[in-house]
Amino acid sequence: MLCQFCGKREATIHFTNMVGNEVEKIHLCKQCAEEKGFDYLKKSNIEKGDLIGGLMGFSKGSVSEKKPGNICPNCGMKYAFLKKGGLLGCSQCYASFSEQLFPLLKSIHGDTRHTGKIPSRFGKEVSLERKMIKLREELNSAVEVENYEKAAVIRDKINNLKDSKKDGGQ
Amino acid sequence: MKNDFEKLTSSSAEWLTKGKFEDDMVLSTRVRMARNLEKGTFTNWSDEKGLKELRDKIKGAVLGTKLLADGLVIDMDDHSELERMMLAERRLISQKMVKFFQNRSLIVSRDERLGAMVNEEDHLRLYATDAGLSVEKVFLKVNLLDDQIDKKLSYAYSRRIGYLTACPTNVGTGLRISTLVHLPGLVHNNDIRQVIDGMRHVRLSVRGTYGEGSEVVGNIFQVSNSITLGLSEQETVKNMELHLRKVLEFEKKARDRLMKEAHTLLKDRVYRSFGVLKNARIINSKEAMRLISEVRMGVGIGILSDISLVDLNEMLIKIQPIHLQDFSGKVMNPEERDIARADYIRFILKGNGKA
Ligand SMILES: [Zn+2]
Ligand SMILES: [Zn+2]
Repeated sequence: MLCQFCGKREATIHFTNMVGNEVEKIHLCKQCAEEKGFDYLKKSNIEKGDLIGGLMGFSKGSVSEKKPGNICPNCGMKYAFLKKGGLLGCSQCYASFSEQLFPLLKSIHGDTRHTGKIPSRFGKEVSLERKMIKLREELNSAVEVENYEKAAVIRDKINNLKDSKKDGGQ
Repeated sequence: MKNDFEKLTSSSAEWLTKGKFEDDMVLSTRVRMARNLEKGTFTNWSDEKGLKELRDKIKGAVLGTKLLADGLVIDMDDHSELERMMLAERRLISQKMVKFFQNRSLIVSRDERLGAMVNEEDHLRLYATDAGLSVEKVFLKVNLLDDQIDKKLSYAYSRRIGYLTACPTNVGTGLRISTLVHLPGLVHNNDIRQVIDGMRHVRLSVRGTYGEGSEVVGNIFQVSNSITLGLSEQETVKNMELHLRKVLEFEKKARDRLMKEAHTLLKDRVYRSFGVLKNARIINSKEAMRLISEVRMGVGIGILSDISLVDLNEMLIKIQPIHLQDFSGKVMNPEERDIARADYIRFILKGNGKA
């Protein structure tokens, strides 16, 4: 059998994955498998058990009800490949496989929210959103300790931010 | 006329030999950022035509920045495997790029401190390197380059999880800070295990010198951040500095104690190593690294002043196989290399201190 990617070399690496009633199969030659990086799980420093557990454990319970995509419509990446530790195929893969990927991200990083740099084209939008999230958290903790004076101040800030979002949002 | 490859390899890696060495325990700091374009597929999933288009577009953007406008451009397709390996020994490209080279390129500043790999695992891998411990400075440099490219390319980005990368272990900031630290004191007094565990606890990874999965040779460790999601770039930089400074304090204490309690023993070790380096006729790279490490420590704590840290650092690069072949001007088998390595080391050590 020939490799599904290059169509030139003999396929020696085979993945199988069950999604619902469908069986999907991927056949790769050694070189393509390496180039597409399916072994990063092996190389990474992270606890392998956690990682694969995160990825597989999650999909087991939720596949039948939520039917997470088993193929990325943008690039054709298959979940079977991802599960073996394959690199993603395109930026849309993160959305296509979000249900499987989020638990994985959590097990790798311990967190699933980016708090760092913002590309210029997203700049204003994202920083407003972040400010809002932070204010809401502050509001909650103020209410928790029954500091209602402070809570009122924060609530006003939130309302102002909402207004400015409306004004500048067009 | 010299091509860009020759311009690069005919000189020493400047970041390693012309830095300030106020800190003899840290060889180098390197910061890289992983970026991808929003449209199309990632490098590994692109066909030849796609890769070509990506490369042209990204090269144009990188050369259009202020920082790398006069950078040297090296298209991997134009160079032999040997030449690519040489670039990898200088840490200018990755091992992955040695192997997968078609439609891959490097754009690098003349001093080798700032570079961009095009079509590596991610479309764009930006990096900055400098000698010693200078995490913030190096980060700011690469961050500025990223800002300049950001204006020209539309990066793949998600509001929730940040910069999107081919591997989920880099998603978020795409930031990897790596430092090469020399910790012979902690190895000698057996505290190294505890220190490594401590670093792992604060989400730093500790490895051998040559990246993933490699063993530790010459008591030189590579320390890098292991997470990229949840912490901002500034927090990652601060954490790294903070924890490394602590480790260096421990190392300093270990060395001071050694000096006090085992001065003669230590001196003996350093001079024995120096003696072997000066006299050996056959030496493999592991033994050479181990001995250079001992001598390096001796220079660091002032036992020995016959050679400078700068020369020792350069030696660590030049004793690698491909650089040795370049030095000798011929392709060699491992046995011949061990002889050439010994010759090279004696040649350098003779030029110093004996005049
Ligand atoms: Zn193939
Ligand atoms: Zn995709």
